[in-house]
Amino acid sequence: MSVVAEKELRIIGFLCNWCSYGGADTAGVSRFKQPTDLRIIRVPCSGRVNPLFIVKALLNGADGVLVSGCHPRDCHYSEGNYYARRRLEMLKRMLPFLGIDERRFHYTWVSASEGARWQKTVTDFTKVIHELGPMNRQPAVSDKPSAKIT
Amino acid sequence: MTLSKLKELVQQVLPEVDVLIGYKQGFDPVHATPAFVTKPEQINDLIWNPLCVHNLCSYLPFMKDKKVGVIVKGCDSRTIVQYMQEKLIDRTKVRVIGIPCRGVISVNKVLHAVNHQPIESINFEGGNLVVKTPEGPKTIPMDEVMPAKCSICQYPTPLNYDHLVGEAIQSDKPKEKVFEDIKEFEKLSLEERRKYWEKEFDRCIRCYACRNACPMCVCQDQCLAESRDSHWTSQRDDLTEKYMFHMIHSLHLAGRCIECGECERVCPMEIPVAKIKKKIGMELKELFDYVPGINPEDTPPMYTFKAEEATIQEHKL
Amino acid sequence: MAHSGFIPKDNLNSVIEALSKKARLFVPVEEGDLVLFKPFAAGQTMCFSRPANLPPKAVIFPQSDVLFDFNLKKDMENLKKVEVELKENLDFPSTIIVGCRPCDAQGFRIYDRVYLEAGATDPYYKGRREKTTIITLTCNAPSPGCFCTSVGRGPADEDGSDLLMTELPKGYYLEAVTDKGEAVLKELGLADGSAYREEAEKAQESAAKAVRKPFASLEKTPEKLIGLFDDQQFWEAEAAKCISCGACTYLCPTCYCFNITDEQAGSRGERIRSWDACMFAHFTLEASGHNPRPSKAQRLKNRVGHKFSYYPTRYKGVTACCGCGRCIRYCPVSVDISEIVAHVQGAQG
Repeated sequence: MSVVAEKELRIIGFLCNWCSYGGADTAGVSRFKQPTDLRIIRVPCSGRVNPLFIVKALLNGADGVLVSGCHPRDCHYSEGNYYARRRLEMLKRMLPFLGIDERRFHYTWVSASEGARWQKTVTDFTKVIHELGPMNRQPAVSDKPSAKIT
Repeated sequence: MTLSKLKELVQQVLPEVDVLIGYKQGFDPVHATPAFVTKPEQINDLIWNPLCVHNLCSYLPFMKDKKVGVIVKGCDSRTIVQYMQEKLIDRTKVRVIGIPCRGVISVNKVLHAVNHQPIESINFEGGNLVVKTPEGPKTIPMDEVMPAKCSICQYPTPLNYDHLVGEAIQSDKPKEKVFEDIKEFEKLSLEERRKYWEKEFDRCIRCYACRNACPMCVCQDQCLAESRDSHWTSQRDDLTEKYMFHMIHSLHLAGRCIECGECERVCPMEIPVAKIKKKIGMELKELFDYVPGINPEDTPPMYTFKAEEATIQEHKL
Repeated sequence: MAHSGFIPKDNLNSVIEALSKKARLFVPVEEGDLVLFKPFAAGQTMCFSRPANLPPKAVIFPQSDVLFDFNLKKDMENLKKVEVELKENLDFPSTIIVGCRPCDAQGFRIYDRVYLEAGATDPYYKGRREKTTIITLTCNAPSPGCFCTSVGRGPADEDGSDLLMTELPKGYYLEAVTDKGEAVLKELGLADGSAYREEAEKAQESAAKAVRKPFASLEKTPEKLIGLFDDQQFWEAEAAKCISCGACTYLCPTCYCFNITDEQAGSRGERIRSWDACMFAHFTLEASGHNPRPSKAQRLKNRVGHKFSYYPTRYKGVTACCGCGRCIRYCPVSVDISEIVAHVQGAQG
C-alpha cells in the first residue's frame, strides 16, 4: 500500500529516542506486524515536542499525529515527559474547540522493552485515523492555480 | 472625584519616576489614548472614565531602563502579577497606581449601537452613556456596550498596587457565569466550530496587532511567526497560515494569559481571538485549579509539573 | 464636457447587478460590523453609508501575490545541470470596483508613480491596474479621523477614479472622469444627469467644508521632517505609545511596500510578493543581523517621513497620504499621524 494509491493515510509519530523509538525497534526486531501509515520523527525527549509541531503537522497534510515518550518516572532526562504531559493534555483539549477532531492526536508512553505495546498503539491509532478518514484541509501548494488573484 | 484624586496621586508619584503612563482623550470623543506624562503640566490632560480601555502595563517590559509609573484597572493589575511571576519587570522600578473599576466600554459596541454614525460627544451618567450623533442623543445602558470581559469581571479592584485611588470594591458578577459563553460555543458541532473559525480567521490580515498589544507577548521582534528560518508560517495569505499564526499566539499564552482582552479589542478585522484564550483559561482552571496573574509567588502551570497528575488520565485508543 | 448620468435610489442595485455581468465586480459588503470589499454575489448586504474598513487596494495589489511557479528540473545524465522551469500568469480579468471613496482611488495614483514608472514598470501591477475600472462614491460627510482636505485632496476628488458617483436625496449623480468611465456610462445607458450637476457640486462643496483641518498647509513639511531626522528625542516622544504593529500600514490605501519570498517544497515552489510594513522590525533586518531601524521610534519616523517627505520630494510635491484616517481610526492606541505632522510643523529646528 502506498500514499499514492490513497489507501494509506499520513500519520506522523514523534518518538522519544530513549524509550518509544526503542520500543518501535523492539517491535520490528520481534517481527510484529504493524500498519505502515506512520512516519516516525525521532526526538530526544517527548519534552522536546512543541505542541505547535502537532498543529503544524495537522494543518499541513498529516491526518493524524502520535506522540510517544517514556513512562512517567522513567524519563531519560528525569522530567521531560512531565512537562510534555501538561502541554499535550492542554493541546488535546484545545483542538476540538478550534474544530479539529481531538482523536487525530494521541499521546502515550511506551518503553524500549514494550514491543507489543507499541504494536498495539500503532495498530489502534492507525485504525482510528482510518475511521476518521483524511483530514479536511486547504489545497496544497501544487494544487493551487498559479498567480491567483484575490 | 476619582479623577481629582488620581491627579493628586500622579502629582505625588511623578517626581519619583521618569515617566508615568495614564490616559488622555484621543482624536475623537469615543477614543482615549495612552498618555506618557513626564512634566507636571501634562497631568491636567489625564482622564479617567470608561473610555480608558487600554492595558497600559504592556509597555513595561520594554521600558526596563526607566522608572515608570503606571495606572492600572483591576484586570490590568493581573499583568503586573504575571510579570512578577515571570520576572519580566523589576517591580521595584515600577510605581503602580490602581483604580477600582466598574467596567469600560467597547468602542466597537458603541459604534454598533449608534449605527456607525460619527460621534459628536459622549457622556457618562449613572449606569448609562449618552452618545450624541448627527441623529441626536441616544442613551445606552453601560451593560450593553461593555466588552465581554467586564460583564464577568471578578477582579474590579487591582490585585497589586502601590497606591489605590478610592476604596476597594467587590465583584458583583456571578462566578459561575465566567465561562458561560465558552460552554455555549462548545454546544456547536465540530464541523460548525471549524466553519466558524475558518470564517473568522479568513479575515485576518496578519497585521499582528493582537500580538503586539498583548502584554504577555514579549518575544515581539523574535516572534516565531516572523521567523523565516524555521518556516513556522509562510508569506502566503491562505487560511492555513492565518490559522497557524493564531495557534502560535494562543498556545504560547497557555497558563500565562491574564485575559485582559487586548488581543480582541485591537483587532482591526474584529476577529474574536480572545475566545481561544478564554478556553485555555477554562481548561487551566479545570486541570490545575489555577488562574493566571493572581499571586506573584505562583509558578505558571506549564512551567512546572507533578509526578502524579490527579486530573490527567491516560487516553485510551 | 464630461458625460453624466443619474441613477434613481431604487435602481442602484439593478445597475450594480448589470455591472457584475460585464466584469469581475468588487463591492463594499457588510460583514458583522465591518465593511469589506468582496466579489459581488446576490444576496449580499452592500454598504455605501460609510467607508470600508479596508481599502480595495488588494484588488490591484494583492496581500500575497504569486508572481510565478518554479520547478527545478535535474538532468539525470548530468546531475550538476539544473534547469529552472517558470510559469507565470499575466492574464488578468477585467475588473470593476464600485463604491470606494476618493481617498481609496487616489491610493492607486500613489502606486502608479512607483509601479508604472518608465524603466521600472511592474507587469503584475500594470496588468491589473489597466484592467480595472474604478467607480468612486464621493463622501457627503467626513468619517472620524479623516483629513483629506489637509493633504491637498478632497471628499469629491476625481484623481484616480474613472467614474464619480455622488449621492443626492433622490439618487446618484454620475460623472465620467476617464475614457474607461465614459465607456461604462455609455454601456449602462443611463438617463442624462446634467440636471443634477449643480446639486451634486453643492453637496460636494459642503462635504469639503465639514472635513477637519489638523494643519493649514504642507509647505516646508518635507524639509522640516528632514531637519528632524536625527532628533531621536522628538521621535521617541511621538512613538511612545505606538505598539509597532502593522495595522496602520495594512489598512492604508497608499502604503505599497512589499517583501518577496520563495516558498519551496521539494523541487517545486512559488515566488510570492506580499505586503510588508515598515512598522515591523524585520522590514529592515539585514542578513548580517544588523538592523538599521531597531526601535519603534525610528520605524514610525520612516512611516511619517516616507509619506510627507521622501515621496513628495521625489514626485513633485505629491504627498503619499490621502487623509482617509484609517490609521487613526483603527490604531490600537490611537496614534494620530495628522497630530504628528502638526507637531513636526511646530517643532523648533
